[in-house]
Amino acid sequence: MIRSYFEKRPHLIYIMPAIIILGALTIIPTIFLYGLSVTNYELGYPTFDFVGLENYIRLFSGKDAEFWYSVGISLGFMLLATVTQLALGFWLAVLLDREFKLKFLVFACMIVPVAMTPSITGQVWKLMMNAEYGVLNYFLQFFGGKVVWLSGENAFWSTLLVDIWQNTPFVALIIYAGMRSLPTDPYEAAAIDGANKLQIFRNITLPLLWPMILLAVIFRAIDSLKMFDIPYSLTQGGPGSSTEFLSLHIYRLGFAGTGWIGRSAAVSVVLLILTTVISMILIRLYRKGVENKG
Amino acid sequence: MNPLGNKKLTVVTAVLLLIVSVVCIFPFIWMMIISLKTGTQTYDPSIWFFSPTFENYKNIFENRHAVDYLKNSSIVVLLTTFISIFIGGMAAYGFARFEFKKKENRAFWVLSLRMLPPMASVIPIFVMASLLGILDTHLVLIICYMLFNIPFTIWMMRSFFEEIPVALEEAAFVDGASRFQVFIRIILPLATPGLIATSIFCIINSWNEFVFALFLTSSDASTLPTTVTLFLSVSGVVWGEMSAIGIVTILPVLLFAMIVQKYMIRGLTFGGVK
Repeated sequence: MIRSYFEKRPHLIYIMPAIIILGALTIIPTIFLYGLSVTNYELGYPTFDFVGLENYIRLFSGKDAEFWYSVGISLGFMLLATVTQLALGFWLAVLLDREFKLKFLVFACMIVPVAMTPSITGQVWKLMMNAEYGVLNYFLQFFGGKVVWLSGENAFWSTLLVDIWQNTPFVALIIYAGMRSLPTDPYEAAAIDGANKLQIFRNITLPLLWPMILLAVIFRAIDSLKMFDIPYSLTQGGPGSSTEFLSLHIYRLGFAGTGWIGRSAAVSVVLLILTTVISMILIRLYRKGVENKG
Repeated sequence: MNPLGNKKLTVVTAVLLLIVSVVCIFPFIWMMIISLKTGTQTYDPSIWFFSPTFENYKNIFENRHAVDYLKNSSIVVLLTTFISIFIGGMAAYGFARFEFKKKENRAFWVLSLRMLPPMASVIPIFVMASLLGILDTHLVLIICYMLFNIPFTIWMMRSFFEEIPVALEEAAFVDGASRFQVFIRIILPLATPGLIATSIFCIINSWNEFVFALFLTSSDASTLPTTVTLFLSVSGVVWGEMSAIGIVTILPVLLFAMIVQKYMIRGLTFGGVK
């Protein structure tokens, strides 16, 4: 009976191992995470109690200002990073979309940020942004300026700058690939009809590039929402808690210092739901775009 | 004809592209420069010309266990890549060549796993691993890295398999070969460039991974990215060593990235853009 089941579904033999492993690796920890989030489990204590929804009530009763601050800056960072990187990436792709001899060199340079280990990125920028001995202020001094890059006021914007440095080339590469694969027929037709540049851009280029743009948005929005590596090595969430993004908030609650695994699990559940909802919306949009096209 | 019109490289665009290129590689160059300076020189950004010293590299290998980090990174990365390519490659073939119910839904479920925040998985995995007594082992990292390597392999390899004409397989079926023989003898050899590119991307992604490595290891299995924790509190004291170990960490990935440059866009988009 089992044999005939598999004979009718020959694909199962190929995809089952992967589905089972991925299922086990995601479903079991997720259930465990929900379980932990209703306890007061602390690192180093052998016993713990179920506390029901207490951890969640604390978050949503409005008393936990740190949590809401983290949610705020994480969402703000996601929006700012995605929009800036999309705009800059688009501009860069337009710059690249022409023939010249040393193009391969420009690409080689652009791949450096894309491939660089994010935690090391944070670290090297920490050296460069050092107020006294950093190279950025050394350059600025020629123009008579000086910025305390990692101060309480500036740390958020500096983190954003580093993220833009690391990920704009990624967006540019995707949109560039999209521009290269644009068909020529619609443009010829538009030229015959006498459409102007803005009309061509709005009615032809943008719809054709839409799947690529969405793809870039999906990756950038989700990755910047759950960002951890760069702020961890750049600012450690500080000074104070000025750059304590959600991931860092979870880290500080659960591991650094306090060890409140139960409470940090509750915040993780919030982060998990947030990323799931946003990625579901974006992936649905993307599928619509792709499936309409093909 | 170029659809977007202007195709010439004007002086302005050339200068802009030069600036972009310099901005992109400058942090890497700067880290390299600092790693070759002596202690006091590192705090003076105005020194551009100096006789390079390899003192910092000597120190990280002698005093900071750089060899152990390198070894841990290599073991974890190679094993997780090997297993993920094997399991993910099989699944990719399944998705590429068979029609079945809810195929696309399952494929997108696999893709959505890439979106999971590692911070949410790492807490339960940390507690589970400590119950099982496998914290700070290579094994726990190898397993966790499959979480992003298998979905990546499935999407990447699916796009490569779909490029191979079905007619080749059908010819082999006529000759009496079984589906599995065809997969091993015909499809895999044809997909070798794709397999190599996919493996290299798995290597890069696993090499760069930080969250799991930070939480699940403490000394015996720590990988290179976790070395940033060595320099958190005392920043400003050992910039030279800090940069040297950074260079040791990123040089291999940059090298690998240059090898797969041709497939870069495809790799970054999970095979979505060819």
